[in-house]
Amino acid sequence: MMALRLGAILFGAALFLALPTVSDQGIVFLAGLVVIEAIFALSWNLLFGFTGLASFGHAAFFAIGAYLTGYGLKAGLGVPFLGLIAASGLLGALVAALTGLVLLRRTTGIHLAIFTLALAEVLRIVIGYSTLLGREDGLASIPKPTLELGFATIPLTSGTAYYYFMCVAGLVIGAVLWVVCHGPYGRLLVSIRQDPQRVAFLGVNVGRKRLQAFILSGAVAAIAGALYAPWAQIVTPESAHWIHSTQPMLASLLGGAHSFWGPVVGTVLFSIINYLTRNLVGLSELVIGATLLIIVLAAPSGVIGLVRTAQQRWSRRRKSGAGPDGDEGGSVRS
Amino acid sequence: MALTDILFALINGAATGSAVFLVAAGLTLIFGILKILNFAHGAFFMIGAYVAYSIIGSNPSSLHVFIAAAFAAAAAVAALGFVADRLVLRRLRHVDEAYMLIATFAVLLVCTGVVKLIWGVNYASINPPPLLDGAVTAGSLFVPSYSLFVIAAGLFVFLGLELVIHRTWIGKLLQAVASDSWMSGVLGINVPAALTVTVIASFALAGLAGGLLLANQTLSPILGESYLLLAFMAVIIGGLGNVRGAFIASLLLGTIESGSSLVIPNMPGMATYIFVILFLLAKPQGLIGGRHI
Repeated sequence: MMALRLGAILFGAALFLALPTVSDQGIVFLAGLVVIEAIFALSWNLLFGFTGLASFGHAAFFAIGAYLTGYGLKAGLGVPFLGLIAASGLLGALVAALTGLVLLRRTTGIHLAIFTLALAEVLRIVIGYSTLLGREDGLASIPKPTLELGFATIPLTSGTAYYYFMCVAGLVIGAVLWVVCHGPYGRLLVSIRQDPQRVAFLGVNVGRKRLQAFILSGAVAAIAGALYAPWAQIVTPESAHWIHSTQPMLASLLGGAHSFWGPVVGTVLFSIINYLTRNLVGLSELVIGATLLIIVLAAPSGVIGLVRTAQQRWSRRRKSGAGPDGDEGGSVRS
Repeated sequence: MALTDILFALINGAATGSAVFLVAAGLTLIFGILKILNFAHGAFFMIGAYVAYSIIGSNPSSLHVFIAAAFAAAAAVAALGFVADRLVLRRLRHVDEAYMLIATFAVLLVCTGVVKLIWGVNYASINPPPLLDGAVTAGSLFVPSYSLFVIAAGLFVFLGLELVIHRTWIGKLLQAVASDSWMSGVLGINVPAALTVTVIASFALAGLAGGLLLANQTLSPILGESYLLLAFMAVIIGGLGNVRGAFIASLLLGTIESGSSLVIPNMPGMATYIFVILFLLAKPQGLIGGRHI
């Protein structure tokens, strides 16, 4: 099973890397968006699938990163691209820390959802009002950057070069989050999701751990936004709209919120559905909505959960009943 | 001059608030009894508007036809509510809050998709019926008569709900189910039937709101989202599931919205969101907390 999983990941990575050589620009652009949205979804699921907090305004962090990087590149401030990405992450973390300090102490569940949603909308209105950030029209014609590594300078001005850069960035961020989620820290977050009270009794400062997860999640979402700005070359207030906040949720649930790679699988599936149904207006919403409904009602553990159950059944049948019994009970595995 | 401005803003606020309440009424009802925060409510509101539009077209011939179309929309959406209850809501009774939100959001997507497939993505605008297309003037004050109609409709729905919930047998029954559904079951109340009735009533209210608020706005597939957020805020501030609270909160939000458009016209919605954030930080349980509907 381990080999199968590794094979799937390698196959997926190879597919993404080979894409510019076999398909046209349009598909490559969509694939780049998938990489960005997948990072965004991973950051959201760190909160929901691992820590048990549902943020409904996550697009705010995305917009913070996108606008900071977009503005930095467009204004030609002379800050290196990696510096802009790091600054976006830091700003996202800072905003998450400030809001988290106030919100997480007082609210969970539906209230947290409404709070984060309202804050994100406030940010969107402020951005739409700011002349510096281009009001409702946003920042357009953002140039693609040049990567300065000290020992080498790599121009990312061509679409393909930037695409590869995003693939590498996505892999690095995915790997970092994987390590975080699968170490003792990730286990602790999962136990907080499952039973905060009991974890508190064990001597863990639940509030602080939640805040840390919130900050980390905000930072990663802002980095996803930072990667987005030069790729799309335009950033509008729509990126902070609450409809954009629902994107990572839908992807995570479709793929499986309780597995690490679920959000990535979900993002890929969503893009495929969107692409296949692009010709008939309304069909994509209908298909995505119906798929999501079936997932939530019939298979709350998402596509990955379905695959896992099928695998278990199959291996149990092969071992004629001697296989492991279903220990799905909410634990998170890769 | 300034006084008329303020008066106008107040009346405008009451009209916006009543419109929000018309949407929030069904939302708060379904939350009070089923404990489901129904994202799809906005979509069914929109479907109600489209159904009414299909009946009367862009120029309704009279006030009676306009109102009759709203009630027809209510009936159609109520029927959809019955289907949605059977297919979806019934299965959501025992799942986690976040999953409920996402499932109802999925219903919202399905409905938006269906609306786009049936009615297309073009905008449509509907004029008010003959009696309501003018304005009432008092001195220098100028009030569109359609605004007055919306205020009256909001009051009518509020008083109707108050009467049903607090003065009738079925209202008492629903209150019992809302406060303790398990105990109600033990006492011989048919709880599943009560829940189904609630869903149907809530959806009928959504359809009615769609029909009544049809005029003076552009009908498009994003109509559902525009009122949904304000209605959500009203329900939350009102103290989840409380009809009186939702009514007061709706009027409050409407007044803030129209008042702020007088003071800071460039940032629509800003004052409302900030008010919601501050209010909930100060009073998380809402205006009227507790287990009342």
